[in-house]
Amino acid sequence: MTASHDTFSEKMADAAIRATPEPLAVRVRGLSDRAIAWLFIAPTIVLLLAINIFPLFWAIYLSFTNFRANRPNAVVQNVGLGNYSRILNDPDIWASMQTTAHFVFWTIVLQTLIGFALAYLIDRKFRGHAFWTTLILIPMMLSPAVVGNFWRFLYEPQIGLFAYAVSFVSGIPTSDIQMLGNVHLAPWAIIIVDTWMWTPYVMLICLAGLRSIPDYIYEAAEVDRASPWRQFWSITVPMALPFIMLAVLFRGIENFKMFDMVNLLTGGGPGSTTEVASIALKRDAFEAWATGRSSAFAIVLFVAVFGLANIYVKALNKVKQR
Amino acid sequence: MADVALKGVTRSFGDKRAVDGLDLHIADGEFVVLLGPTGAGKTTTLRLIAGLEKPDAGTVEIGGRPMNGESAAGRDVAFVFQQYSLYPHLTVYENLAFPLRSPARRMDKASLDARVRQVAKMVRIDHKLENRSTRLSGGEMQRVAIGRALVRRPSIYLMDEPLSSLDAKLRGELRLELKRIQKELGATLLYVTHDQIEAMTMADRIGILAEGRLVQIGTPREIYANPANLHVAARLGQPHINLMPADLLPGVAAPAGTRTIGARTEHLEISRARQGSAGLGPDGNAEVDWIEHLGDQNHLHIKVGGHKLVTLADPDLPVEAGDRISVRLKQPLYFGGDGQRLA
Repeated sequence: MTASHDTFSEKMADAAIRATPEPLAVRVRGLSDRAIAWLFIAPTIVLLLAINIFPLFWAIYLSFTNFRANRPNAVVQNVGLGNYSRILNDPDIWASMQTTAHFVFWTIVLQTLIGFALAYLIDRKFRGHAFWTTLILIPMMLSPAVVGNFWRFLYEPQIGLFAYAVSFVSGIPTSDIQMLGNVHLAPWAIIIVDTWMWTPYVMLICLAGLRSIPDYIYEAAEVDRASPWRQFWSITVPMALPFIMLAVLFRGIENFKMFDMVNLLTGGGPGSTTEVASIALKRDAFEAWATGRSSAFAIVLFVAVFGLANIYVKALNKVKQR
Repeated sequence: MADVALKGVTRSFGDKRAVDGLDLHIADGEFVVLLGPTGAGKTTTLRLIAGLEKPDAGTVEIGGRPMNGESAAGRDVAFVFQQYSLYPHLTVYENLAFPLRSPARRMDKASLDARVRQVAKMVRIDHKLENRSTRLSGGEMQRVAIGRALVRRPSIYLMDEPLSSLDAKLRGELRLELKRIQKELGATLLYVTHDQIEAMTMADRIGILAEGRLVQIGTPREIYANPANLHVAARLGQPHINLMPADLLPGVAAPAGTRTIGARTEHLEISRARQGSAGLGPDGNAEVDWIEHLGDQNHLHIKVGGHKLVTLADPDLPVEAGDRISVRLKQPLYFGGDGQRLA
């Protein structure tokens, strides 16, 4: 605990180090490290260019035209920003964006809360916690197509287990529990399925976060007389926060482009109450065959997700650096 | 501050008895160091006092009050862990203030601030109070960890090898500081280490632990000069004590039953053979095998018969490897067949 940084002997030692001449750097001939590095990553870059970057730029080009994929021989006209202005002024598209936002918000809130709570319980390392972890993880391992079909049956008002169980508890007749047919219930039906399937994923990431907190920090806090409540808020949450935020990021990006489950469960209906952006996009592209316009829509979505994710990653890095 | 007493404390992990019927009394204001090799039960002893482990048998008393069933929070102890157990998302200031913000210890803002700044100055970290604790060097982190214990005025400070992860220079500085602070505060302190220099320089009393038992306890001088058995003798002294059969060297009047003689540097008298000193004739009784130059001193490796001895020597001693010398004993330590000290 001596303030050694300004002692006399330290200064003299520093002076001695400075007086030692630097050895001359030796240059090695042949391929530089950088060239070798490029050689190694070139195949990946070529592949990425072909299947990711090129289609992206092609879509950007198409978004300024009136190209229609079902009329490949028609003359393609440049329409400038026409597609973009139509999209940004289309109330239906704004409605689909709102539906998406609603869906993303609630799935994240529910999955994070339930996922973290489950992780917190599993982390107690009670008897058989490994068995319960495996059991909880099962929904995540299923294919979304299977899950969609499976829940369609569960939601069936006449024969479905879900309607039966709700009716058994609440007394509401099963015929009134039209999870997929009712305009008010359908969005929640999808939120429930997505939460059922992906909460384990959030739990797994949160669990990794909780397991990364060393025991001795808790012991130090206990000796320092911090209550369990204070330990939770001043150790557990801040130290697991980067992991929680990462889970939110993954789920957010994933759910922004959610397609399969909605397509299987409601197909965007009833009416357009569950028509999330990706469903609207698919209809525009492959039902209306407005390839140019839907390309513009896709670009708008891409920019939105990319921008939001970037802001979020900045925040995440800030939390991590603390 | 208060005195702490362990009475017949036992703690097992599976088949292994980490602490085995330990009796230990630490007086109010005393600095006791527990010295022992890895796995001797040092850390477990600290954790038992802190309430982080429950004893299988026996009692821990703090200030005369039995602590059985009392939680770690209820015992009013401060613990410095071997790892830097800082709260990583908090600043140095917040880390130091953390124990004082406990509702059990309501403290107004001004006196809390004064205490934190005073301790920060004491452990010389006051210039980094606003830094995140993760942005500190190892030495700084450990100073914060020690400071976080010192902001409190607990019954006892428990420190688990707090200096072991620091470099030698910083360790030397902190050793001095810690002793000074302990004296200043009149603190009761139980300190665990496997470093004999830390034990010798800081302790009021040293307790030697082996396999969960307290082998000997006494002042550093007593432990060094009057070890109760071979184990204790082997723990202290640099270079390591030389153990040899009773009849290897002249100059002894070994008591009956002596099996082994222990000789440190001060127990060996060396003279150049040519002078024919000690009546051993011109050839002496030993040969210099190797000399290690440490700078201020030399390690002299000597061969006597089939045995190798190591002793310190003045760097000016005019001997070289291969020289014949005379070695005789001067009031060494005598141990019986069971390893216990005879005289």
